[in-house]
Amino acid sequence: MSIDTIGATLPSPLESAGGEVVLRRGGWLRAIWRSRNGRIGLITVILVLLGGVCGLAGWTPYGADVQNPSTVLKGVSWAHVMGTDQFGRDVFSGALQGLGVSLEIAFLSVAIAGVIGTLGGIAAGFLGKWTSATIMRATDMMFAIPTVLFALAIVTALGPSVLDSSIAIGVGWIPIYVRVVRSPVLALRESDFVRAGRVLGYSRSRLLFHHILPNVTGVIAVQTSLALAWAILAEASLSFLGLGPPPPTQSLGEMVSNSSSLASVAWWTLAGPSLVIVIAVIGFNFLGDGLRDASDPRTRTR
Amino acid sequence: MTFFLAVVRRTLSTLVTLFGVSIIIFVVLRLLPGNAVTAAMGVSEGLLTKGQVAALDRYYGVGQPVIQQYWSWLHSLLQGNLGISLASREPVSTLIGTALPVTLELALFAMVIGIGIGVGFGVWSALHPGRWQDDIGQGISVIGLAIPTFILGTVLVVFLSTKFHYFPSSLPFVGFFTNPWLNFQQIIFPALVLSLGIGAAILRTTRAAVLEVYNLNFARTALGKGVSRRAFIWRHLFLNALTAVTTMSGIQLGYLLGGTVIIEQIFILPGMGRLLITSIANRDFPVVQSVVLIFAAGFVIVNMLVDLFYTVIDPRTRPR
Repeated sequence: MSIDTIGATLPSPLESAGGEVVLRRGGWLRAIWRSRNGRIGLITVILVLLGGVCGLAGWTPYGADVQNPSTVLKGVSWAHVMGTDQFGRDVFSGALQGLGVSLEIAFLSVAIAGVIGTLGGIAAGFLGKWTSATIMRATDMMFAIPTVLFALAIVTALGPSVLDSSIAIGVGWIPIYVRVVRSPVLALRESDFVRAGRVLGYSRSRLLFHHILPNVTGVIAVQTSLALAWAILAEASLSFLGLGPPPPTQSLGEMVSNSSSLASVAWWTLAGPSLVIVIAVIGFNFLGDGLRDASDPRTRTR
Repeated sequence: MTFFLAVVRRTLSTLVTLFGVSIIIFVVLRLLPGNAVTAAMGVSEGLLTKGQVAALDRYYGVGQPVIQQYWSWLHSLLQGNLGISLASREPVSTLIGTALPVTLELALFAMVIGIGIGVGFGVWSALHPGRWQDDIGQGISVIGLAIPTFILGTVLVVFLSTKFHYFPSSLPFVGFFTNPWLNFQQIIFPALVLSLGIGAAILRTTRAAVLEVYNLNFARTALGKGVSRRAFIWRHLFLNALTAVTTMSGIQLGYLLGGTVIIEQIFILPGMGRLLITSIANRDFPVVQSVVLIFAAGFVIVNMLVDLFYTVIDPRTRPR
C-alpha cells in the first residue's frame, strides 16, 4: 500500500468527529437518507426536477401559453389543478414552465458561482499568503454589496435574458463559496496526510486535486444545494420586479406579480406559482441540511 | 488607547473595502454594457441644461481614459456630486435625500421587530428544547426562511385589501414628522413582512447559541448556586449568546437591504428601493450607481460598528 492510498483512507477532520469514516464511495444517498430533512429534501428535489424538466420539454397538461376564452379564471378542479388565469391559461402548466426556466437559471448561476468560488477558495486556502490576502480582500468587497442589489446592478448593465440573469445571480454568490471552501482547505493543508504528500515530493496540483479537493466535496455539495435554493429565490425576485427573462417566457416571480391584482377574486393564480417556489426552495434547503448531516456527523439530528 | 487604535484600524480597513466596492460598481455598471452610459446620455442630453451636461461630463469623465473616468467619478462623489438623474433631470442627491429617510425608517422598524422576534422566540425555544415552545420557534424559522418576501408581501396586501379595504396605493406616503400615526400605519405592514426573514435567521442563531451556553460548566454552576431564573436567562445565557446574535444581525442587514427593494415595490413606498427599480427601468445610470453604492456603504459601516460593538460586549475580544 503506497502512502498515497493511506492518505486517502485516513479520516480527515471533516469526515469524522467520532472516529468513524462516514462517507464511503457510493454511500452518499444512504447517508442523506439517514436524516429526516435529507429524506424530505431528496424526494422534494427529485419531484421539483421532474416538474422542471417537464416544463422545459413542454410536457405539460395544457400548452403553457395557450389562451382559451372558455376557461377564463376557472377555479381549482381536476381538469385544472391550479385553476386558470384571466386569459384562460392553465396555471399549473405555466408554473411548470416557469419552474423549468427558474431551474435553468439557478443551475447556470450556481455553476458560475461554484466553479469560480471553489477555485478562489482553494487558491486562497492553499496558495501563498499574498494570493490569499488578495482574494480575501476582494471577497470582502464583493460581500459588501448585498447579493440582490448586486444582481440588480448586473441586470441593469447586461439586460434581461436567461444567461444574463444567471450571471447576475451567480456573481453575488461567489464570495460565499470562497469563504466556505477556504477554511477547510486551510485546515487540510496542515493535516498529516497532506504534509506527508508534500514530504514525498508530490506536485502542488497532485496534492490539490487528489488529496484536498476530494475532502472538500462535502462542503461544496452542501453549499451547492443551499445556493440552488437561494438562486431560485433570487430569480423569482428578479422576475417579480420585472427584470427576469422577457416574454413570452413565463417565470414564477412574474406570475406572482401578475396575480397580485387578481388574487382577491382568483386566489389560485397567486397560490399556484407561490406554492411551486416555496416547495422548490424548501426542497433544496432540506437537501442541503441532509447533505450537511451526511458529511458532518456532529450536526446530525438524532 | 488600544480601543482607539482598534477603531482606527477598523475604520481604515472599512475605507479600503468601500474603495473596492466603488471599483466593483464602476466596473459592473460602466464597463460591462459597452458604454451604455454614454449612449443613455446622448439620448437625454437635449433635455438637460448646459450646466447639467457639464456636471454630468465631469461626473462621468466623458472622453477620458477609463482610469481617468473612475477618478473623475470618485472625485465627484467625494465632493458630494452624485450626478444628475437622466430621467427626472434632478440632482441624484435630491432624489436620494427624499428616498433615504423612508428606507431607513423601514429598515429600522424591520430590524427592531426582527431582532425582537428572533431573540424572544430563540431564547424561548432554547429553554424548552423538544417541547411545543420549540416547535413554535422552528415553525417561525421555517416559514421565515422558506417563504420569499415578495410572496409574503403580496399575500398580505391581497389579504388586507379584501378584508380591511387597505390599499397601499390609496394614500401617498406621509413622513413621520408630518403625521406619525398615519406614517406608522403605512410602515408597519411592510416592516413586519421584511422582519420575518431576518427574524427567522436570528432565531436560529439565538437558539443554537443559547443551547451551547446552557451546556457549559459555568451555566450549570450558576444554576447550582441558586441564581434566580431571570438573572440566569438574561445575565448568564443571553449575554454570552449576544456575540453570535450581533454577528447574525449584521449579516442579515444585507438581506434586509435587498428586501427593502422588493417590499417598497409591493407597498408602494417612495424609498431607495423603488427609486432603484424605476431607475433600472429607465436605464438611469447615475441613480442606479449611487443607490447601490449607498446601500453597500450602509451595510459595510453597520458591520464595522458591529465589530466594534464586540469589544464593548465581550471583554475577551478587547485588544490588550
